[in-house]
Amino acid sequence: MMHFGIPSRFWQMVGQAAGGAARQTATRGARWTVVRPEVLLRWKLAYKVASAALPLLEARGAKAYQVAAIRCVLSDFADAYLGRKPCIFTSAFVPTELVYGLGGVPFLPEAAAGLAAAFGLAARSLFACEALWYSPDLCSFHRAGLGGAASGLLPRPSAVIVTSHLCDGGKRSLLHISRLAGCPFYMLDVPYIPSDRATRWLASQIEHVAGDLARRVPGLSLEGLAQALHRSNEALAEYERVSALRRNVPAPWRGSEALNYVLLFLWSWGSPSLAPFYRALRLHLERTIATGDFPVRDERHRLLWLNLRPYYDTRVFKHLEGDRASSVAFEEYSFAYWPSLDPRDPFASLAEKMMSNFGWGPIERRLEALERLVDDYSVDGVVQFAQWGCRQSNGGAAIIARELRKKGIPFLNLDGDGVDARCGTEAQAITRLGAFIELLDARRGW
Amino acid sequence: MGSTTTKAVLLSDGKLAGTHAMPTGVDLAAAADECLRVICRAAGVGPDRLAALVATGYGRDRVTGAARTVTEITCHARGARALVPSARVVVDVGGQDSKVIRLDDDGMVADFVMNDKCAAGTGRFLEVMAARLNVPLEEFGMRWRRAKEAARISSTCTVFAESEVISLLSRGVSPEPIIRGLCDAVADRLAGMVHRVGLGGGLVMTGGVSRNEGVRRSLEEKLFAPVTVPEGSQFAGAYGAALIAFELGEGAEMLPTFGRGCR
Ligand code: SF4
Repeated sequence: MMHFGIPSRFWQMVGQAAGGAARQTATRGARWTVVRPEVLLRWKLAYKVASAALPLLEARGAKAYQVAAIRCVLSDFADAYLGRKPCIFTSAFVPTELVYGLGGVPFLPEAAAGLAAAFGLAARSLFACEALWYSPDLCSFHRAGLGGAASGLLPRPSAVIVTSHLCDGGKRSLLHISRLAGCPFYMLDVPYIPSDRATRWLASQIEHVAGDLARRVPGLSLEGLAQALHRSNEALAEYERVSALRRNVPAPWRGSEALNYVLLFLWSWGSPSLAPFYRALRLHLERTIATGDFPVRDERHRLLWLNLRPYYDTRVFKHLEGDRASSVAFEEYSFAYWPSLDPRDPFASLAEKMMSNFGWGPIERRLEALERLVDDYSVDGVVQFAQWGCRQSNGGAAIIARELRKKGIPFLNLDGDGVDARCGTEAQAITRLGAFIELLDARRGW
Repeated sequence: MGSTTTKAVLLSDGKLAGTHAMPTGVDLAAAADECLRVICRAAGVGPDRLAALVATGYGRDRVTGAARTVTEITCHARGARALVPSARVVVDVGGQDSKVIRLDDDGMVADFVMNDKCAAGTGRFLEVMAARLNVPLEEFGMRWRRAKEAARISSTCTVFAESEVISLLSRGVSPEPIIRGLCDAVADRLAGMVHRVGLGGGLVMTGGVSRNEGVRRSLEEKLFAPVTVPEGSQFAGAYGAALIAFELGEGAEMLPTFGRGCR
């Protein structure tokens, strides 16, 4: 079982409990409905037990940052599933500071889909989505998210916010979720070309959404907004140190694990738990560099990874990091591209954050960011994980490949799927990655 | 070790000393052992005399005693380049996948693409259609030449294309245009892949399907470029692996692990 960046034993226990419960449900009928995953997730006791188990995990070898990450996820899940705070569903690139600042808890169905895949629970959600007539060429992160909502696996949203930029599937699948839940739906229309006027226009939309939510959803108010931006900045400062440490050669952190933490990177800006997590991670990386105990022994190559990864159990990274001794030095989706936020002017600041997303606008923007990452992380090859159905990321692949190659950086387009194991072939992925590493070897005369 | 056929190439002092091919079957390790046993026996070489063994292909991890496993992409590039020194683009079509490899001036892999997710454009696609048409694959070339036009096969999905073939047969279309249409369908996929790595320089076809003259000719028509199919093209991957093994064996003396594959 893949562990989504969190101690595998913990997730194995939880996953087995959830998966086992689901299986028992199937075989023994309604008697067992009480332990179905969607029920387990709504049990107060489950969160109490999981929180109580955290010190035990640390005592048994889990790293402090891994425990901090679990704490972060548990706290949000408890808020969302137990209804302790209004739960606002968002698509991946909505600034979550807005939701935390309003006093709600964000929930990202796409990210939850990755988690479901890690638990072995995605297949059920995918089937549920197919039953709603969605075609398999919709990105599986959305299919599993929508199916999860339809089948009751996700909490109930009080409102839904999406953005128009980048991911196109998010708008439609989350609109459907809002209809299923009968809750308000907001879309932030992000201008394509950056300008002061564009930022002001987006800021006014954010302000309108925030004001409307504060009026319509009990429990939400604008009071905590500045505080959430402060917390986001605090986390960003820690995160920038983490990113700087990851420039170290050899890599101090496994990229396969870092790709799991993209969940928090997308989800938790503005949360009080994010800065402690990055602080713990920074300390871990500093220790790794000081002791020289690097996760990929005798690192041969350093890769930049674009888009996400398969979150279900796969041998791909064992092959890459183990057999091929090659690191994912950094990931496109781990790049903090925005300047620090101004808590005195939250709406303009959040608008600026959204507008500065390098994946939005002309392809040159993304290219420029990737070239910078290639240099900063001493990368010798770039892998684009071509997520099935992801237009925003795959659309630019040919141009990116061509431009990187001009600069002498080999590029691999690796077809696959992050959630739906039926849409990817592990053996083919291993062969492609292997051949890519052999290509990099040959360039060095090895 | 291909998905359909297991091949072995033996080099002695860098020169070809033997080849052998046999069906892979379901027991990959046994097929590898058997293939090595046969080639060693035919060449009169004791298994313990093998200086180096390199395994490639989809079953490469199942070859006992291999000093190294190398992906088929690198091996086909090496093999094709050795067979055709002017090769710049290698189109390899095997049983379950197809790949197009661009070589740099030194013969190194500069870029490659593989077919994704389905059997379209592979040997398996043609095998299924040959069985449905009741025409041996070896006759595809001759029938292609006889066809005055190509039947339109619009789907590249093996299952849907098979039903298209059935409906063409039921409408009384003879096998020749259908065969030409099928070869065109495979060539369409391959041509798209060639354009992705960039057409230019010597174009060489390897792998089992390279022996199919119909696919080669369809590909030439699509690309407006000659396609070279060298003698022994179906052994190109194994030959590339043998060349890498030869380099490994040079100066490696008799490495103790080598030859265990020839129990
Ligand atoms: S992988 Fe692409 S399509 Fe899927 S959720 Fe992410 S951005 Fe959207």
